[in-house]
Amino acid sequence: MARPDTPERVNLARSTVLLVDHNPKSLDMLSSIFQGFGVRQQIKRGSTADAVEIVQTKDLDLILIDCSMPDMDGYDFTRWLRRETPAPVRYTPIILLTGHAAQSKVHKGRDCGASFLVTKPLTPSVLLQRVLWLAGDEREFVECDTYVGPDRRVRNFGPPMGMTGRREGDLSAHVGEASEANMDQSEIDMMIKPMRVSL
Amino acid sequence: MTQARTFKVKSPLARQMLEPGGRLVRDAERLASEALEGHRDDVMATVAAALDALDAVYAAGVGRGQAAGDAGPRIYELASSIIDLAGYFDTGPLYEAAYSLCDVSDRMIAAGVWRWPTIQVHLQALRLILAGGCRAGRTSEALLSGLRSVAMLTPAA
Repeated sequence: MARPDTPERVNLARSTVLLVDHNPKSLDMLSSIFQGFGVRQQIKRGSTADAVEIVQTKDLDLILIDCSMPDMDGYDFTRWLRRETPAPVRYTPIILLTGHAAQSKVHKGRDCGASFLVTKPLTPSVLLQRVLWLAGDEREFVECDTYVGPDRRVRNFGPPMGMTGRREGDLSAHVGEASEANMDQSEIDMMIKPMRVSL
Repeated sequence: MTQARTFKVKSPLARQMLEPGGRLVRDAERLASEALEGHRDDVMATVAAALDALDAVYAAGVGRGQAAGDAGPRIYELASSIIDLAGYFDTGPLYEAAYSLCDVSDRMIAAGVWRWPTIQVHLQALRLILAGGCRAGRTSEALLSGLRSVAMLTPAA
């Protein structure tokens, strides 16, 4: 049976989402969008310092933060979360939102460890697609001296299985959920045991 | 060379989204779009106010020649606030003109060279596009084409 291009349903009713933007109007619009998506638990903050405090005290399922926050910007916040917080907090999916990406910030955006960087113009449809991508995200998490975050080589993997936009050459580590009980060792041994066959 | 550790992480978000219940994707998109639409008038008023502020910064700084001083970052900040808000709606040419203003001001700040006429044509184009209801058409395309030509002459760092 062919897989649908995108999941038919999305359930964010139990998810806690942190929205961070220094522009109150922008924050209200983000909040309206996530209300439409069915998110009941939204935490809205207008400064990165307040967002840091929330990260340290609340369990969060998703964070959206504007790149151009004053003082500690969205890139530095992401870098801090990925490097300075304990697991599993450091694995929290983060979507960075940006209008204009200043030349001086391009490398920061690449290296900070965000799950996605979404550029405006931004429609609810685009944002929901990115959230849905996170559900099927097959990228491995990478930790090394110079980078902590999801594998940036997304070009090789493309969108998750079943999502719009996958190309023929996209790789996938997707093996699906286990549908039967694990085999015991004797069964595995039997499968790899050399046996005489008559041809 | 640094040692990299790679591993799989299944986030709680991924598990929650796959649970039964929730909303149809098309309903979630529709409800979000409807909720967003309620902000449009307020946002357009804020965009107009940001344009007024840009005009004021321009009027105060136009005599300074190539020394923008604090005006450069302020122009970038205001233009950036326009695309931050307008970027939630289909404001086509307005978004594009404001993005171009961000781009040229960012490049001029980085290069240490400031040209007020470049700012002036952007502000005039933004005014005309806003007055035309942000509709895409022959007029807006001619304005944007002019901005692209100006942007090509703007120095890069």
